[in-house]
Amino acid sequence: MTLSPELIERKNWSQRLLREREISVFVLLIFTLVVVGAINPAFLAVGNLRDLLMQSVPTIIVACGLTLVIVLGEIDISMGSMMGLLATVMGLLTSPSRVGLSVGVGVVSMLALGAGLGLLNGLLVTVGRMPSIIVTLAMLTIFQGVNLTLMNGQWITDLPPGLRFFGIGTFLGIPISLWTALVVVILSVLLARETPLGRRIYAAGSNPDAARLAGISANRLKIFAFTLTGFLTAVATLVSVPRLSVIESGIGSGFELLVVTCVVVGGTRISGGRGAIIGSVLAALLLGLVRPMLIFLHLGVSATYWEKAVQGVFILAAVLADQLSRRSQGKAESA
Amino acid sequence: MNNFFLEISGLSKSYGKVQALAEVSLRLIAGEVHALMGENGAGKSTFIKCLSGAVCPDAGRILVDGSPLSPGNLHEAEKAGIVALHQESSAFPHLDAVDNLFVGRELRRFGIFQNRPQMRQETEKLLNRLGEKIDLRTPLEELSLAQRQMIGIARALSHKSRLLILDEPTASLSERETQTLFRIIRQLQSEGIAILYVSHRMEEVFALSSQVTVLRDGRLVETRPTSELTRDELTRLMIGRELLQEAQRKTQRAPGEIRLEVNGLTQKGRFRDISFTLHAEEIVGLAGLVGAGRSEVATAIFGIERATSGTVKVNGVALPSGSVHAAIKCGMAFVPEDRQRQGLVLPLSVADNLNLTKVGAMSRGKFRSAKKERGFAEKAMQKLNIKTASSRSPVKTLSGGNQQKVSLGKWLSTSPSILLLDEPTRGVDVGAKAEIYRTLRQFAQEGMATLVISSDLPELLLLCDRILVMCEGKIAGELSRERATEETILALALPSHKENHREKDTAELTGVSD
Repeated sequence: MTLSPELIERKNWSQRLLREREISVFVLLIFTLVVVGAINPAFLAVGNLRDLLMQSVPTIIVACGLTLVIVLGEIDISMGSMMGLLATVMGLLTSPSRVGLSVGVGVVSMLALGAGLGLLNGLLVTVGRMPSIIVTLAMLTIFQGVNLTLMNGQWITDLPPGLRFFGIGTFLGIPISLWTALVVVILSVLLARETPLGRRIYAAGSNPDAARLAGISANRLKIFAFTLTGFLTAVATLVSVPRLSVIESGIGSGFELLVVTCVVVGGTRISGGRGAIIGSVLAALLLGLVRPMLIFLHLGVSATYWEKAVQGVFILAAVLADQLSRRSQGKAESA
Repeated sequence: MNNFFLEISGLSKSYGKVQALAEVSLRLIAGEVHALMGENGAGKSTFIKCLSGAVCPDAGRILVDGSPLSPGNLHEAEKAGIVALHQESSAFPHLDAVDNLFVGRELRRFGIFQNRPQMRQETEKLLNRLGEKIDLRTPLEELSLAQRQMIGIARALSHKSRLLILDEPTASLSERETQTLFRIIRQLQSEGIAILYVSHRMEEVFALSSQVTVLRDGRLVETRPTSELTRDELTRLMIGRELLQEAQRKTQRAPGEIRLEVNGLTQKGRFRDISFTLHAEEIVGLAGLVGAGRSEVATAIFGIERATSGTVKVNGVALPSGSVHAAIKCGMAFVPEDRQRQGLVLPLSVADNLNLTKVGAMSRGKFRSAKKERGFAEKAMQKLNIKTASSRSPVKTLSGGNQQKVSLGKWLSTSPSILLLDEPTRGVDVGAKAEIYRTLRQFAQEGMATLVISSDLPELLLLCDRILVMCEGKIAGELSRERATEETILALALPSHKENHREKDTAELTGVSD
């Protein structure tokens, strides 16, 4: 009746590799670093690696929230223009030539707005009983419209130094944005794995009916996850946008799809119930590597145009791996 | 005398016009195994759901130690120690054993974190008590069904349960696993836990229970000590109905030529070695318990599912396995069990649904012809007496009976030579039932060969020229019209230990339900 040792043995390497995406993505990440580093050692220079990491920071931060949304069987694709809108609001509030609030007040307002917009997403999906892909698609469009109206065709160029610090400042020699990403990842992993709240999110995503029978309200969890994703989008905005001295209306465009890509490639099942934050984070690093890799391999000027295509291939590979692992599992069960 | 810890009185529940449960009362003593029996649709599962608080009863009281439970409250029922173990529905497939046991009421430390070590320890303790060793980190979906069930029982025990409700717990277990389950049931019993045991399997009921309660048509028939009952008596209690409509049966006709010939049809893990013939002008019934594999046979014949081996011949020509297209081309039609999900496109109109099977026939060149479509649909509606405001009303606005007529009409209007029906009158009122029977008869007289799957025994007796009875994936026997009675059908349909092929068969029959 119990699983015999031979049976456990039979779950061999290849199967585990397919099933536990964290491992395969990690292996692929290391492999890429080693290969590209061998061809062009400059790739592994500390400065370059730090830049690579910093490029991926916004994706990593938001992917932590989105993973939980997708584990619950929902999706959020509003993060891109939400980031644009939040950047604009942050700029308008703190820029001396506009509203000119103190940096502290401006930042806190922006973070609160991010959480609020996420909450709105969550309420529309749960209380409004609308499919999340449509709700967040609508919000994506609405945020963009509001953003364009607020910007009114202009740029914000006079960001106060206090705000720029979040983008370019360092602590113990390490950029603030990296510290932030580290803290967000650690807290998110703890939340997902070690708190009742996190376990309930996985339970509700795994079997909503059973969750209801266990007295778990899936709706409350969904509202939480959407709010968290909104808040983390604000955090990502805070530590990435002030790296540049200018805020324009195009910030964040296409960002939502990059984050969704990372979560899917990282092994989270789009139908819910399964997925690890660490997988999404590793996938964000891997996908962030694609463009620099194409540059450092000296494949020619047009090579970087392949970035999107390579990312697309990763998505297909991830979904294919899911199918294969499910098929091999099916075989194991019927045998 | 009054050592009942649980008293249920007058429990009633209706869904729409259907009275699923009517004034059922039951009392339980600590440490007894109480069997709950009844045919499909007798109200067993409604009763269980009301008891465990998953469903709110319309009337009735549940007293635990004399104090009433508020109705339809899962939490309160759980606190009072009433825990139902449903087939699989209450488990989290992606989570491991520890999470499955504790999610929703985690043990905590430092306020916000869960106390995983302690939860793991508790889980181990509970599984040890059951004599089970299960890897605590494996997600449930990778464990065997028996192991999942053990985890379900462990979850129930972690509630300090006093009443454990087991719903067909052996349906997907092998013989050896069943024995383990029995051992555990007896152990729990000796610890003072009462068990409400729902099963079709007579021998299990006789082996385990001290009391049997029989439900029929949502009503309590009788509660009696098991030792006072025989198998035959119990069967009679379960059926009970007068065969009012016996008279309506027509005299035997000589069957026409062979239309459908099924030979050695097998689908691994579901059914095996199914052979029978279906003649023109004949209505043949396929009886059996839920899970016997009846629907699976029909879907395999129609080509929805591929058969592992065996042949299906239509008018002497073998059909390729797993091709619905070929089946339809040979004049076969299949009206599925679940009309809402498989039989109809609910938001579409009555006319569109009726015409789904023959869009090609109604086109004008490459385009649809609205006029032809409406004409066809209205003719079909008249023939089947479908009651609706207009042929343009969405099907979902129709009553169950009329929906079923549309589902049927969709295929009948293709003039099939072979019709497969799965539960043709489930959830249909008496009037519509009669009309459906009349229609089927009429088509049979015109030469159609019909196979009817039904759990409604009077329906089969009324309608069929012969009845095939399935049991655990095999044809257990065939009954002629003269020999077929509810008793003889049920005797064949109930799994028996006498012909003991069970051990292997049931092991292969995991996860079957129809």
